[in-house]
Amino acid sequence: MSYYDIDAILTDAEKIPCTFQLDIPDLGYLDNTPSQPLKAGTKVNLPLWLAEMLVIANTGAADNKTFVTFDLPRALGNDVVQALKADPRAVPLRDQSAHFYGLATHMLDLSEEQELGSVLRKTFVTRAAEISLHARKVGSIGHKAKSKGEGASEMGSNLGLGGAGEEFLRGLDEWERSLFRKAHEGAKAGKDWIESVKKN
Amino acid sequence: MALSLPPGLTHAEVSFLAEMETVTIVPRQRLDSIDLLSGKTPSLRPPHRVDLSLWLALLLKKQRRANIVPPPWLHPASLSEIVQRETKENPTAFSEPPPVPSRPNIHQPGIAARQNNNETVQLSPPFQASCTADAPAGYLPYHWMEVAEMLLTFAGDDMISLGSAGEIRGLLRDLTEVRAAKMRDSTKTLGADGENVGGVVSLRGVGAMELAENRGFILGVVDGMRRIGASVEATRREQEEEMGGPGGGGGGGGRGDDGDDDSDEDMGI
Repeated sequence: MSYYDIDAILTDAEKIPCTFQLDIPDLGYLDNTPSQPLKAGTKVNLPLWLAEMLVIANTGAADNKTFVTFDLPRALGNDVVQALKADPRAVPLRDQSAHFYGLATHMLDLSEEQELGSVLRKTFVTRAAEISLHARKVGSIGHKAKSKGEGASEMGSNLGLGGAGEEFLRGLDEWERSLFRKAHEGAKAGKDWIESVKKN
Repeated sequence: MALSLPPGLTHAEVSFLAEMETVTIVPRQRLDSIDLLSGKTPSLRPPHRVDLSLWLALLLKKQRRANIVPPPWLHPASLSEIVQRETKENPTAFSEPPPVPSRPNIHQPGIAARQNNNETVQLSPPFQASCTADAPAGYLPYHWMEVAEMLLTFAGDDMISLGSAGEIRGLLRDLTEVRAAKMRDSTKTLGADGENVGGVVSLRGVGAMELAENRGFILGVVDGMRRIGASVEATRREQEEEMGGPGGGGGGGGRGDDGDDDSDEDMGI
């Protein structure tokens, strides 16, 4: 991940529900009350980069009180985790967050949620197998005519599938999309090579 | 900084390398030995079989100066045996690569010895004759997909002795599909929990082309797993350091800690 990684930057902009633990003067505008100090106990959605800083930057305080405490964002909430446990393939992760895994790894860094980590691992691997299956299917002879009609962008033609496959592919987050692209490029290069052998 | 090619060999490069494979031909014209960079080619005298590089064999074939003897593993019987093995007998692993060439030992009857027993066993494909007429049937060599595809395309008429090209192609397609499915599932055990975290299934016996095709995907999955597990891994290391810290307070322990710090940084990147 480089400094200019757009996905990393966008991940940092995801909102995290935080609760302030201290009264902070001049920050009232965060809670739409610009004239008053920000009261302790106010819940504010902060972007990940700011929340991360505030959560980490607390240890120096006198009574070891933190600036903020944070809850897991809704994308990683109990509902989603339960659904992922039931069947990872049935959850459209993109609806939760376009940078689901990026967000999740950041949250894992901040909180010590053992269970979340193992659920995520299982989810990623199970969905990866499914992704690879779709990546191979797309662009085969049956789909060629369809995707030609679609034309347009790379991703557009990749999504030129019907039915459940399309639904699944639409629910991929950014990590999974890049994985799909890699798997698809591999399969496509294989087909192209076979064609090129025939031409020579 | 930006090399547009993904890591590993591309398909074109793999198939270029596959042309180094040796195949057996039956020449139809006399041809003197040619002095090539890789050494002299054997001189061709019509009825005698000769082993040549695939690229030269294909060239002669296109000029109708030779016929290619198909390798035994390309025979439909051999291919269907492999398909059978891949689907029924061992549905989780890839079939074995060809065995190391061996021949009976004259001095010790009944005991086969490796050829070139004195430390110079050549196991890599350009030197191991895995596509000649003497190659063992029932084993897929490293470059099976490329060699089969090229032979069927350019020397289809020589392959008639094996059976119809359609039949062979059908079997090859079955094989490709079966193995592609195994490749897809090979990463599934990575998600396993707790102490016995699984790894990728052994890739022994996988062909060069299959590797080129799946490299991006498998590396992507492994990298994703690494990133998800990075924080867990970091805390585990910290715990280990705390546990091991008081015990190994010596200079040697300090060096070990440095190594750990380095790899932690790698994880963070």
